[in-house]
Amino acid sequence: MKYIIIGACAAGLACAEQIRKEDASGEITVFTKEAYLPYSRPSISYLLKGAVKEKDMYLRKPSYYAAKRIHFVRDTAITAIDTKNKTVKAGRKAYAYDKLCICTGSKPFVPPMKHVEGKSNVFCFLDLASAKAVKAAAKPHTRAVVIGAGLIGMKAAEGLSKICQSVDVVELAPRILPSILDQKSSKLVKNHVEKEGHIRFHLAQTVSEARSKGERISSVVLNSGEVLACDMLVIAVGVRPETALAEAAGLSVNRGILTDSKTMQTSQKDVYAAGDCTVSTDMLDGSKKIIALYPNAVYQGTVAGAQMAGGSQELGGCYAVNAIDFYGLRICTCGLINAAGEPYRDKVRHSGEAYKRLIFEDNRLVGFVLINASQNAGIYTNLIENQSDITALEQDIFDTPSLFMFDKAQREKRLKGAL
Amino acid sequence: MAVNYIPRRFNIVRDKERCIECGCCVRQCSNECHYFEAGGTTVLADSTNCVACHRCVDLCPTSALRIEKHVCDYRENANWTPQYQQEICRQAASGGTLLSGMGNPKPYPIYWDKILLNASQVTNPSIDPLREPMEIRTILGRKPEKLTVERKGKAITKMPPQVVVETPILFSAMSFGSISLNAQKSLAMAAQNLGTLFNTGEGGLHPDLEPYTDRAIVQVASGRFGVHKDYLNSARIVEIKIGQGAKPGIGGHLPGEKVNVEVSNARMIPEGSDAISPAPHHDIYSIEDLRQLIWSIKQATGNQKPVSVKIAAVHNVAAIVSGCARAGADIIAIDGFRGGTGAAPTRIRDNVGIPIELALAAADSRLREEGIRSQISLIAAGSFRCSADIVKAIALGADACYCASAPLIAMGCHMCQTCNTGKCNWGIATQRPELTKRLNPDIMHERVENLITAWNHEIKEIMGGMGINSVDSLRGNRLMLRGIGLSDRELAILGIKHAGE
Amino acid sequence: MKRVYAKEELCLNCRLCEVYCKTAHSASKDVLKANKYETPAPVSRVTVYGDKLRSAAVNCRHCENPKCVQACITGAMTKDPATGIVAVDEHKCIGCMTCLAVCPYGCITTGRFAIKCDLCRGETEPACVKNCPNRALVYTDLGGAQE
Repeated sequence: MKYIIIGACAAGLACAEQIRKEDASGEITVFTKEAYLPYSRPSISYLLKGAVKEKDMYLRKPSYYAAKRIHFVRDTAITAIDTKNKTVKAGRKAYAYDKLCICTGSKPFVPPMKHVEGKSNVFCFLDLASAKAVKAAAKPHTRAVVIGAGLIGMKAAEGLSKICQSVDVVELAPRILPSILDQKSSKLVKNHVEKEGHIRFHLAQTVSEARSKGERISSVVLNSGEVLACDMLVIAVGVRPETALAEAAGLSVNRGILTDSKTMQTSQKDVYAAGDCTVSTDMLDGSKKIIALYPNAVYQGTVAGAQMAGGSQELGGCYAVNAIDFYGLRICTCGLINAAGEPYRDKVRHSGEAYKRLIFEDNRLVGFVLINASQNAGIYTNLIENQSDITALEQDIFDTPSLFMFDKAQREKRLKGAL
Repeated sequence: MAVNYIPRRFNIVRDKERCIECGCCVRQCSNECHYFEAGGTTVLADSTNCVACHRCVDLCPTSALRIEKHVCDYRENANWTPQYQQEICRQAASGGTLLSGMGNPKPYPIYWDKILLNASQVTNPSIDPLREPMEIRTILGRKPEKLTVERKGKAITKMPPQVVVETPILFSAMSFGSISLNAQKSLAMAAQNLGTLFNTGEGGLHPDLEPYTDRAIVQVASGRFGVHKDYLNSARIVEIKIGQGAKPGIGGHLPGEKVNVEVSNARMIPEGSDAISPAPHHDIYSIEDLRQLIWSIKQATGNQKPVSVKIAAVHNVAAIVSGCARAGADIIAIDGFRGGTGAAPTRIRDNVGIPIELALAAADSRLREEGIRSQISLIAAGSFRCSADIVKAIALGADACYCASAPLIAMGCHMCQTCNTGKCNWGIATQRPELTKRLNPDIMHERVENLITAWNHEIKEIMGGMGINSVDSLRGNRLMLRGIGLSDRELAILGIKHAGE
Repeated sequence: MKRVYAKEELCLNCRLCEVYCKTAHSASKDVLKANKYETPAPVSRVTVYGDKLRSAAVNCRHCENPKCVQACITGAMTKDPATGIVAVDEHKCIGCMTCLAVCPYGCITTGRFAIKCDLCRGETEPACVKNCPNRALVYTDLGGAQE
C-alpha cells in the first residue's frame, strides 16, 4: 500500500503516525514545500521572543521517522492531483498513491492595500521561514506595525515587543482576539497587553496605503488618516484554508475542503483531507466552520490515517479549544464562546485579572472563557465534550473544577481509570 | 468570655524555622488546635484544647512540632493537689460526673514491677529458643477431672469444647461503638494471622467481621446488645461480661450520637438511641442465676462453645471466681483495675477495684485449695505493658492474658485518655467517618501482629532462660517469681518468696 | 502499566503527598529546604481535592491515548512507548497550557512550562505513594485502560 500525505504539519504528521500504527508495512511518503521536518507552528512566536530554540521546535527526532519508516520529501510543492490515475505531481515528477491525504493547512490572507506588494520589509508570520525572516529583520530601533489582532497577529506583536522600539497593532474589528474572546475579556486582555507590552492598538482601523522609500516601506496610513512610522510591516490579518490543489482536482470545496463527517474522506474515493484546510462540523451547535486549531488538526489527521489504513476509528465531535498566554496572562477558551441569545445563557465571575465566563445551553456546558482562572480547565472541556448534565454535579460549577464535582460512582471510575 | 479557672495542660511548640506551613496539622487536629491565620497562609496554634495525642507531631513532615507540659504552679499542697482543684472546677462548671478514658493512671503499686523472674544457672540448664522447640501454644476450656483411656491408648473421656491459641496473648473486649470498626477489623485480622482470639465486646458483631468469627470471642453483657443465636454460634467462645476492671459495679453508656446506622444494626437498637448497659444483669442475682445463663448459652450453642465469665477484680475476687467455676464457667477472665475503657466515671476508675496481680494470685490459690483449678481456664486482664508482665502473670497462675491497651498503642493510641470525647485523632475510639478512616486495617493489623510476634519471641527467650520449654510448665510456677520491696502480707497473697530467699 | 491509584476511603486529607512530591521534584531533595527555602519553589504534581470527610490525591493517569499528548502543539508532551509515562520536555514546552485545557482529570499545573506527574521517573515507588501515611495511594498495575 502506498500512502501519500501532502503537508507535514500537525494533521499530516498525526496521519502518518496513525497509518504506521495500523499498517506496519505500507509505504508512507509525506510531501512538504517547507525545508524542515515537522515542527511546531505555534512555537514560531516563541522563537521570535527567544523563549524557545529552533532545535526544540521539531516535533520528533529524525531517528524517529527512520524507525517508523515515514519518508519525507522536503522543499517539494505538490502542483497537481490526478485522482483518475491516482498520482500526485510535483512539477514534472509524478508519484503514485493508493491513499492520499491532503493536509495543506492555511494560507495567509492579505487584504488589499496600496503600495505594499513587493516591498522588502513586508512579512507574513505563519511558518518557520517567515518567522526567521521577521526575527532577522527586527532590531532594537525597529518601529513595527502588525496588521491583525487575532491569535497570530497578537503573538507576533508580543514577540516583536521584546525586541523592537515600538509595536503598533491595527485591527479591523473593534476588539482584539475576536475569534477567541468575548467583548469584556477582550478588553481585559487589551489592558494587560498595553500595560505589559507597551503595544499601541488601533482598533476598527485598516491600513489603506503604505508610503515607501525605495524598496522599503517607511510609514503606513490608516483609513482614519493617521500615519504610523513603520520600519517593518507584519501582515497577520488571518488565514484561509489552502484549497487550491483540491479545487483544481475537482474535489468539493466550500471555503474549506468538504469531507465525510466520520471518515474524513473527500468527495473523491481514496482521497482524504484533514486539518485547517477542511470544513469541520462543530458538535456544539452543528454549524459548519473552519476550526483552524492544533488539537482539531491532530484529531482529524489521526482519524484520516486510521481510515486510510483500514482502521475503524471514526471522527467524533469537533469543537474549538484553545489556550494561549500573553505576558503571563493565561487565556483558555473552549466551545461556543460568542454564542448569544436563546437558547444560550452565560454566567461570569470577574475579579481583578481573573475572569471566568461559562456558557450554557439548557443543562449543558457549551463553552468557557477563562483568564488567569484556567486551573483544571480540562474538566470543563470534558463536560463540554461529553455533553454532561451539569445539574447532576455535586459542587458549584464555578468552583475550581475537580473530581469532586462528580458523584461517588463517577469519581471512583475516574480514580480507578476505567473511563 | 467566661473564666475558665483551669490552666491549659499542654503547649504546642512550633519551630518556625522548620514549619513549612503545609497545614497538615490544621487538617489533622480534631480538637481544632491548629489553624491558618485568617485568610493567610501562616499556621498558628491555640493549645487550650490540646490533649497531647501527638497526631500533629507524628505527621509533621519536618518535625517542627513539639508538645510540652504547660507548667503553671499552684501553691504547694500535698492534699489539695492541682488535679483535685482542677477537677472541682470542671464539676463546678458542668455539674456532671467526671468522665475519663483508658485505665487507672494513679500511682498505685504496680506489682509487676516488684516481681523478679528467675533464670537457670549450672543445674537445670537454660534453653536456647533459637535452637530448640519452645511451646507457647495454649489450650483454653474446661478440662475433665480425670482421663479414662481404653486399652489401645485412645481416650474415651468425652472432652468439653477446647480452643487452641498459638500464643497466651488474647485481645480483650472492645465493642464496636467504643472503638471504630477499622480498629476492630485490625485486631480481628491480627488474631486470625496470629492464631489467637479477639473479643467483640458487647457491641454485637458487624457483618464486616464475619470472615473472622472463627477467631472471635463474643460477649453477652447486661445490655444484651446484638445477641442472637447466630451471633453466639458464629464465635469460638461466648463470654458473659459481669464486670469490667476500669469500672467495677458500673454499667455502660454509649451516647445516642455515637449510635449511627452501623452501630445501631450491630447492636440491634434504634439509631440515635442511647445504648445503656445496666450495672447488673437483671437476670443474675446469684451464682445459681449465673449457672442458668451459662446453661442457656450452652443449650443455644449445642455445647460446642466454651463459655467464659468475665468479672472485675474486686475485694473478694477469689470467692467469686470459685462461684463462677462452680456455676459451670469454662473460662474465667479477671479484669484488674488498671484495665482500659472507652469511658468511665473518673472516681470509679481511679478508686474501685484491686490490682490484677493480687486478684489473679488469690483466685488461683483459692481454686487450687478447692481442687477445681484444672476445671477452668483463667484469663488475666488489666494492663500488660510488656512480655515480662505476661510471663509473670502466667507464673502467678493465668492460662492466658487479655491485652487491649498495648495493641491500641501499636495502632497509634498515645494514652491521651480522652476516648470519651469521641474525637480520637488516631481513628480508634471514635465513630466519626473523617477520623475512623485514618486507621487503615491493612497497616494496623501488621503492626499489631509485629507487636505480638515480638512479645512471643521475648516470652520464649525468658522461658528458655528459666530452663522451661513449654508455657504449660510455667503456668502457676510461682517458684520462678520473687518479690522485691514487698511486705510479708503482699508476698503471702502473691504466694511468692522475697528476693534472696 | 503501573499507575498511582488513590483510595478515597483512606485519604486523610493530610496532603503530605504534595509535600513529598515537591521534595522529590526539588533541587535539594530535602523536605525542609524544598518546602521552605528553595527558589524557585518546587511545584507539587499531585493535588488533594475534597474536604476532611472525602478527599483524594489526584495525579496524572498516564492515559493510553493521552489527550494532552494529542493536543500538545510543540511535541513537548510525549508518552514513552516503553514505560507508558506521559512526560513534558521542559525545553520544548512553551507553556501555552493547551494540555491543561484538555486534561479530563485536571492533572496539569501551570508554570513556565506545563508541570505534571512523571511517576518520579524510574523510582521503584513514586514519592507520593512512598510517603502516604495511610496507604491511600497505591502504585500498582490494575491493567485497566485509561481514556
